[in-house]
Amino acid sequence: MRFQDAAKDARTVVYAAIQAEPLVARAADLLAAATPAERVLARAVMNGETTDPDGWRVTFPTLFDPALPSAARERAEAILALSLEVAERGDQVRSQVRGAIVEALTERLLVRRVGAAAVRRERRILFDGVRAEIHPYDLTVEKPGAAEAWDCKWGARGIGPDVLHQLHDARTHAAAEGEKLLAGLVIFDAARSCRVRLARQTAPRDGIGVATIETLSRLGGGAPAGGKG
Amino acid sequence: MSAPETIAEILDRATAAYAGLAATGETIEDEWSYVNDLTEAWRARLAEVAAARGAEPAGAAGPAVGRAIDEIGRISDPHRAIDWLSTFPQVVLVALGEGL
Repeated sequence: MRFQDAAKDARTVVYAAIQAEPLVARAADLLAAATPAERVLARAVMNGETTDPDGWRVTFPTLFDPALPSAARERAEAILALSLEVAERGDQVRSQVRGAIVEALTERLLVRRVGAAAVRRERRILFDGVRAEIHPYDLTVEKPGAAEAWDCKWGARGIGPDVLHQLHDARTHAAAEGEKLLAGLVIFDAARSCRVRLARQTAPRDGIGVATIETLSRLGGGAPAGGKG
Repeated sequence: MSAPETIAEILDRATAAYAGLAATGETIEDEWSYVNDLTEAWRARLAEVAAARGAEPAGAAGPAVGRAIDEIGRISDPHRAIDWLSTFPQVVLVALGEGL
């Protein structure tokens, strides 16, 4: 089993510019330290139809309660402001930005657990005698004996047969070579929605990990500074 | 003076609005089953909360859920409606201080 950079085509060049936006990095930093409820705020606002901050403060009274510690309110305010910046983009761009944020967030969490040197973006995994996959993995952890491959999705609806087959095949090929590979999905959505989506899939999914809004922080090896998650 | 709104009452309003959102989402034919399964799963979760806390005053969750209902009332795109079929119940639960 070995890892290789994905070939760069026109789409990846355009997407790389989105990934490099400071907004994406700021969002990833904030969401890496967020609670599940704060991540729901980000998801709602970035998905939203309206961009009135007061309206969103009313919608999330448990996050903007004046009785909360100031650090918690400040974090919620920062997430709201940043999510509104995303929401104010055009539909197509905001969809790309949201995807890039989930990837950057996942990267932050993986780096927290395994260190920056082992975490790579947009990599293929090659196995002896097996044709290379078309799509690279969003994130890989490249550590001997403890490799990981993660694909990131904004919502549960992103779970489909192609990605499940790819992750399952990678695990199977790795096992055939006597290698351990943890393969999984990072979904910026609730576990309940992911379970419903997965239940409808006929593609193999045994052994495939799924990190959701509630459990994302476990990718980083523990609870976030902001609270449970 | 009318009695303060209860959690059961706001969840009734949320569930009715949610049904409208599902009707928009299920116009995507390939996602009909997913939309219905998703809707059922989240309705069940909201029903659990109503059973456990329905008689409590809604407090700040009343305006919060009203605002969330207004948000989904603006959605006409069925793909966005499907996204919100997952997001809306999460927003309602967070407003009530519940886990997802």
